[in-house]
Amino acid sequence: MKQIHIKVNGKKFDLLVNEHEMLSSVIREKVGLTGTKVGCEQGSCGACTVVVNNEPVLSCITPAMRFDGAEITTIEGVSQNGELNRLQEKFVEKGAIQCGFCTPGMVITALDFVKKNPNPLLHEIKDALSGNLCRCTGYKKIIEAVAEYANEEYTGKRNLKSEIVNHKSVGVPRPYIEATKKVQGIADYADDHKMKDALHIKFVKSIFPHANILSIDTTEAMKLQGVRYIATGAELPITFGVLPLSQDETAMAIEKTRFIGEYVAAIAADTEEIAFEACKLVKVKYKPLKAFLTIDESLNDIGTAEKIHNTTKFNNNVHKKAELRFGDQQQGLKDAEIVSKMSFEMMGINHGFTEPHASTAFWDENGLTMISATQVSHYLHRALAKTMEVPLGRVRVIKPYLGGGFGGKSDPFAHEIIVAHIARKTGKPCRVRLSREEVFLNNHGRHPTKMEIQLGANKDGMLKVLDAEIAIDGGAYGSFGIVTSYYNGVLLQAPYKLDNFGFRTHRVYTNKPQCGAMRGHGAVNSRFAVESMIDDIAHRINMDPVEMRIKNFLEPNSLTVGHYRITSNGVKEAIDRVTKQSDWKNNHGKMPYGHGFGVACGFFISGSALPIIWNELPQSTVHLKVDFDGRVLITSGANDIGQGSDTMLSIIVAEVLGISMDKTFVIAADTLITPVDLGSYSSRVTFMAGNAAKDAAENLRKEISNAISKKMNVAVEELIYSSNSVFSNDKKVDLTWDQAIEIVTANRGAVNVSGKYISPKLGGDFKGAGAGLSPSYSFSACVSEVKVDLETGHVKIQNVWGAHDCGKALNPLAVEGQLEGSWHMGIGQVMTESMEYYNGLLVNNNFLDYKIPTSLDTPPIHTNIVETIDPEGPFGAKETGEGAIHAVLPSIANAIYDAVGVRITKMPIKSEDVLRLMKENKLKNVVA
Amino acid sequence: MNLLNDLNMIAEKIYIKAKTVEEAIQAAKSNGDNFCFLAGGTDVLVNKFQGTEEATCLIDITGIEELKNVTTDGNFLKIGSLIKLDDLKKHEAITMNFPALLEAAHQAASPMLRKTATIGGNILCENRCSFFNQSEFWREAVGYCLKCEGDVCIATGGKKACFSKFVSDTAPVLISANAQLEISNENGSKIIPLESIYTGDGINPRNLPKLALIKNIVLPLDKNFKIIFKKLRPREAVDFTSLTTAVSIDQFGDIKIVLGGIDPKPVVVAGSMNDKKEELIKQALKQSRIVDNDYYSRAYRKEMITVFLNQSFEELK
Repeated sequence: MKQIHIKVNGKKFDLLVNEHEMLSSVIREKVGLTGTKVGCEQGSCGACTVVVNNEPVLSCITPAMRFDGAEITTIEGVSQNGELNRLQEKFVEKGAIQCGFCTPGMVITALDFVKKNPNPLLHEIKDALSGNLCRCTGYKKIIEAVAEYANEEYTGKRNLKSEIVNHKSVGVPRPYIEATKKVQGIADYADDHKMKDALHIKFVKSIFPHANILSIDTTEAMKLQGVRYIATGAELPITFGVLPLSQDETAMAIEKTRFIGEYVAAIAADTEEIAFEACKLVKVKYKPLKAFLTIDESLNDIGTAEKIHNTTKFNNNVHKKAELRFGDQQQGLKDAEIVSKMSFEMMGINHGFTEPHASTAFWDENGLTMISATQVSHYLHRALAKTMEVPLGRVRVIKPYLGGGFGGKSDPFAHEIIVAHIARKTGKPCRVRLSREEVFLNNHGRHPTKMEIQLGANKDGMLKVLDAEIAIDGGAYGSFGIVTSYYNGVLLQAPYKLDNFGFRTHRVYTNKPQCGAMRGHGAVNSRFAVESMIDDIAHRINMDPVEMRIKNFLEPNSLTVGHYRITSNGVKEAIDRVTKQSDWKNNHGKMPYGHGFGVACGFFISGSALPIIWNELPQSTVHLKVDFDGRVLITSGANDIGQGSDTMLSIIVAEVLGISMDKTFVIAADTLITPVDLGSYSSRVTFMAGNAAKDAAENLRKEISNAISKKMNVAVEELIYSSNSVFSNDKKVDLTWDQAIEIVTANRGAVNVSGKYISPKLGGDFKGAGAGLSPSYSFSACVSEVKVDLETGHVKIQNVWGAHDCGKALNPLAVEGQLEGSWHMGIGQVMTESMEYYNGLLVNNNFLDYKIPTSLDTPPIHTNIVETIDPEGPFGAKETGEGAIHAVLPSIANAIYDAVGVRITKMPIKSEDVLRLMKENKLKNVVA
Repeated sequence: MNLLNDLNMIAEKIYIKAKTVEEAIQAAKSNGDNFCFLAGGTDVLVNKFQGTEEATCLIDITGIEELKNVTTDGNFLKIGSLIKLDDLKKHEAITMNFPALLEAAHQAASPMLRKTATIGGNILCENRCSFFNQSEFWREAVGYCLKCEGDVCIATGGKKACFSKFVSDTAPVLISANAQLEISNENGSKIIPLESIYTGDGINPRNLPKLALIKNIVLPLDKNFKIIFKKLRPREAVDFTSLTTAVSIDQFGDIKIVLGGIDPKPVVVAGSMNDKKEELIKQALKQSRIVDNDYYSRAYRKEMITVFLNQSFEELK
């Protein structure tokens, strides 16, 4: 240990640091400022950027010793005397903040850049931010914020802030309610919650994909000073899993391991470093078993080898076969005038959220408290009660601010169960944070997929038949896989009308990290295939692919072949908007070789109509409390994961009660305090928690109206709630909000009400009818423009025009942010992202080798919101977090076809594949 | 591999901040073999985190002021080894004479890394491979490759030689401009060609004596080089190179081709205006030992060598 003197944000610190300790660790753990985030531990994501002696540095790869005597500014030092810096204001105002985890680094980087480059070009801004990874926003709003800030600083002219209409909530673009906290780095995420005397946990991980564990020797590790507890799998024998039908996982491997990276032992020690060193001293003896690493290996009969799970039905590793058929596919294929048959292969991808998993657990007189980065506190609550063998009433799960999920934090995780267990065993709080490598090894990302699809149509462009044979690689455990298996098929039955439709999906277990739900769950890869094939048929029948799509669209208020109830449907308007904006008529098919335009559509559920765990609880319950001070406390179990659900709740309640949002206060996702919401998955929160909030607010309004009616002798129907007041048109009643609250609380005290949402009974009565059922569906369309380098095959996306029918944009700024983030994520999957394995070992397990698009790789995105006012959504709103992603991937592939005439059937689209296909085409043409 | 000493404590770590070249070398000497010089440290510290760099003594040389100058000395330009990649553009002598160097520097890593990483560090950047730049756990699981004390090269499926990639973006440009290094060690200074420090052995890719420090990078100013730089990578920022090409022509019509990212060392082919371009490309291809240890396949990277070189020749016309 050495002593260093540093000044952080003007305050002096004399600190003892380890000689090789990184500055990020000193700032976070010793100075105690946690606004500096650690996302990758290797300088690839930029979240840890701080300013040292007027120069920005990546604090996660900067030794603290280097800067003895230095003056350091962290994000907490950017705002002065409670006033945001003007760039921070811009970030808030422009909606450049979603999960907020990248925000501190982004702000510090941008501030330094603009200081040194006072009048930057747009491209220079993109370049300057290209080392700061954002997974939520698609960078668009961040770049806008920086550009406007730079311009204002340079010209001295301030753009007037668009004044937010005070008493109007729904439909007004506004920043998230917590945005100012996030932009100052003072919003606490899971790893920012410090507990006194906490132990730190690290894991011993399996180095074999499939092996029997012969012995685990922890003797040497236990001797290391500072090691407090070592847990192994046998201590936690109870299985868990997010789906009741796939409780196939234990917190650590027992008897055998099923993938490289699976936890074999967990060590709790006084410091993270000691725990890490102790892990190296644990000796595990394995007996390797035959590993199954590909879909084909696991589909086939495995002979005398050992299955991955002995629960599978046959002598193979098939986890689930899902099959549904409507109409007659065989006849349809015979009758269709044109049949396209194509095979596709898609690599697995990872959510790439910037905040690594982290959890803290402790036990006291109230049982277990777990602070964890989770999207679904409710299922974690249940999984903890089950695995810890305590009543549900002895578990409390708290979700702090959360740095992105995209489906990747929606299962209960092994590390959460392990920290809970060790905290109980040691009687001390226990903390864990995963390294980026461990985050990748936990995965639960999009399944690697192979599919063969037949699509038939007549020459007039009408679709006649769709038959899909799909296989998905689930990895070692179940996760959401049964749902994924169905979604790959069922979510092909819209947005086009189909009479003969069938699919069969096999999900297999393999000895790799498990796959699960990721944005656009289950439908992204099959949507890519079908949209590519529609494009193919359109070209073969010489029809504009836009026209062909329009011909086949399902109407609003119709039923799909699989009995989905389509209510509002804006797909026609969506495609109209993007084709008009991109000047499709004059561009598609009319560009020189190497330059092209492509189109595609998509749709998605607004929440699953059926809960994962069958019970009769409402899908969402929201409580409101109003007391003498007039503030309405909103409590909801819904998890804000950066998508803005807390703000959404506030908007809805304020709208119903006619009050300004500052008269509301949201407490969410604390299972002790907040009523059950099933969590942030399947794009359900705005629709379901939003409806519950609306119901609750209407119930509160009734209470207030009844009290006023009784006291002032007016009919409740005459009362109007608007502009922070309650009045009747004849002004017989003319109360301020506070006066109204005085009346309702008189002789009664605080008023508590509850609201709920229960999905209507929907769908057919056949087996599997529940898959993909939703009270409402969103629709979208994209046009993309690409240029292909004819010598290298490199594809550069020039523009993406997107439109999404979200029913009603409760907060247009947040909706735009979700759409832009979706399109950015789609661009990542289609262009550069893939999980690469070598003998079951994930090769690209970091943010350098796993290629999430940077600001420079993200094209201009043109965002369109389509509103159709859904009859059942709150104020007409539907989902917006996932549905937009589907169309963007195939629109890019179709643009490549338009540019160079090659049909893409693999994702990601690598330059080398494009070049090879171009050459093959040329050869074919020569032969022809 | 075991970092624990007899007292059952975690091994003691040392951090030394040198103020002069002599101090740095002295500090190195007194720490035997177990030290590592630290300039920007943007690669070294990641390697340390992953356990491929195990030195318990880090000698931070960023405080050595004499290594931070850019000067002209007759017909030579001297660039101090501690000049940060992002700062190269601040020196007119560089922007005027070697714009390709700025381009190469700008395409290295990401903006924030370039504000810490130095040009000396960049040319000494450790070779990379998908099977080497991994955590201790990962390398154990894969069975340790040749470069980390294993028996065979995993990328090639069992060869007895290491093909880790040489990945510096600036070095190919510098070599194409006949750069030399001014090296200091305990016996004083000497000047050697930059090209000569690369061995071609992926395990020990550089032959600089362990105690040596690069003081300056020395470039000739009297050759009027025109240099074309190109880099292949999946993203427009952050990524290490999949293929780097630098092609120079001087006032006498001498041509130099330097390739990076496709061999354990920079591949250098010298020729002249009058040579057949196809012949030069053929030589470059022949010398490149490309293996599948990259985002792009071996075949594609090989194919791109020809494409990039042809494009460069066109641009040099």
